[in-house]
Amino acid sequence: MAELTETPARQPGVTVGKRVKEGYLRNMRKHWMLYVMILPGILFYIIFKYIPLGGSVIAFQNFQIMKGIWSSPWVGLDNFKFIFTYQDFYHVLRNTALIALYKLVFGFPAPILLALLFNEVRKMLAKRFLQSLFYLPHFLSWVVVGGIVFEVLASGGFVNAVRGWFGFEPILYMQQEQYFRPIVVLSSIWKEVGWGTIIYLAAISGVDPTQYEAAVMDGANKWKQAIYITLPALFPTILILFLLNIGNFLELGFDQVYNLLTPMTYSVGDIIETYVYRSGVLQGQYSVTTAIGLFQSVIGFILLWVFNRLAKKTGEGLW
Amino acid sequence: MKQTFGEKCFQVANYVFLTAAALTMILPLLHLLAVSLSSPVAADSKEVFLWPVGFTMASWKHILQSTGLWQSFGVTVFITVAGTALSMLFSVLTAFPLSRKEFLIRKQVMLGIVITMIFNAPMIPFFLTVRELGMMNSIWALIIPGVIGTFNMVILRTFFMNLPKELDDTARIDGCHDFRILFQIYMPLSKPVLATVSLFYAVGYWNTFQRAVLFVRDPDLWPLQMKLRAYLTSPEELAQVNMFLDDYDFNTTTLKAATILFASVPIILVYPYLQKYFVKGSLLGSLKE
Repeated sequence: MAELTETPARQPGVTVGKRVKEGYLRNMRKHWMLYVMILPGILFYIIFKYIPLGGSVIAFQNFQIMKGIWSSPWVGLDNFKFIFTYQDFYHVLRNTALIALYKLVFGFPAPILLALLFNEVRKMLAKRFLQSLFYLPHFLSWVVVGGIVFEVLASGGFVNAVRGWFGFEPILYMQQEQYFRPIVVLSSIWKEVGWGTIIYLAAISGVDPTQYEAAVMDGANKWKQAIYITLPALFPTILILFLLNIGNFLELGFDQVYNLLTPMTYSVGDIIETYVYRSGVLQGQYSVTTAIGLFQSVIGFILLWVFNRLAKKTGEGLW
Repeated sequence: MKQTFGEKCFQVANYVFLTAAALTMILPLLHLLAVSLSSPVAADSKEVFLWPVGFTMASWKHILQSTGLWQSFGVTVFITVAGTALSMLFSVLTAFPLSRKEFLIRKQVMLGIVITMIFNAPMIPFFLTVRELGMMNSIWALIIPGVIGTFNMVILRTFFMNLPKELDDTARIDGCHDFRILFQIYMPLSKPVLATVSLFYAVGYWNTFQRAVLFVRDPDLWPLQMKLRAYLTSPEELAQVNMFLDDYDFNTTTLKAATILFASVPIILVYPYLQKYFVKGSLLGSLKE
């Protein structure tokens, strides 16, 4: 009861700024439990998100593990100058950008198309059953999926067995450079396409059915309905997901590529994350690889910023 | 409504396409199961498709009895159970204040959290931070550095925000403090979303790989996925057997198949029961204010 009587009656004469300041203190005293509750969470974000973010300054140092971050010498932009004259960097950047681009071009539209197809399945039971099969791979780890991919594409695997029926020689897909990128893109579509449809299907189910009825009255067939009603209705969702995607454009997912990569395919498949792991974590080139990682984050942010501006011109952006 | 000929064709083609694509999601697993239960000769000559040829349980017996998989299995079970519990606790405790209007700094805290979604710290400073904390080669390195998944936390927050405001007004009049409101009123009402988010966390912990690659060098502390990866890259290690026994009824092909399945069995088993929840749950996460 005490708390209830304490609730302040707004006093007319008090200035706005002062009222807010008092509000925070009073609020903290009154709801101290909320502040206690969130403490572990805030500590988590500070320790595991903000400190590493701040730790990125080692990209501007010649970081030595013995001296630590406080006494390692500063070198300005030397590490960045170094990576831009470094053969391996271009190599890895090229692989990353190409795979990211392919994933965006082929992987991003895949769940949208699949959702449109699902939307045409009228038998609920069949729809549910098919969907559950499509969702399954999302829950498997990339180690498992990598194992499956190697098995399916092995010299005696399923794909080569089918080639054999038609009299073709087996191909060692996993060991040949030209197949690596398509395999990465296809396997990520295979794993995530079903899961990706969830949000689009929800958006579709939010469309007012009278719109379709009206369209049918006007003689629109299924195709026209999809183009003129369903897709525009999906557009805001597509835009938001696209923006979320573009911000992580160069982050392809360590688990996937690491589990599909073999020394035979380094030349086309070694991406920033796998490279940073090998030469940073394993070989201790901390500063140079942090510079590469920072470069990756900055590119992601610039892309996000640019596309968000573009998105705002057509509709809603992320911010 | 009457369908035109073209629409009927499309319907049929659509069903055929979707069924075929859906089959590719499950057939590889069934194929692996068949291989793991076949005789090595049949497995290597690729006679096996979906039905075991020369049925034998030898590979399963071997991986369950003579390899170090159980050790890794134990690590994975531990991080899945302990990690999910800790993650839920941390996430609920963070999500609840952020869902409440009385918590005046919720906008600022939320902004701070969203920033970490946009600016990911590079791998090396993250690695060095965890190392400085003395977590190298510790099971806790597989849990603590990722104990809150921001997306999962936001799902919980959105759900809490949508619970009727009158609930805690009444509770407050009855003298409930914030902890009681959370644990005795909000949590029991949030069972579906708690189940969903727990599932997401549990699957994440079960599949933990990158953190193990970064932080755990001691094979005794490897989680299952790490061990599986090691076996897939050097299957000879997996096949290593007691040389005094002769003629084994397995080889690296059948062992690999069995190991891959072993690492996915729990997920495949619980999957049918849980799937009706996760679709609903992940939709609750659609960010809306």
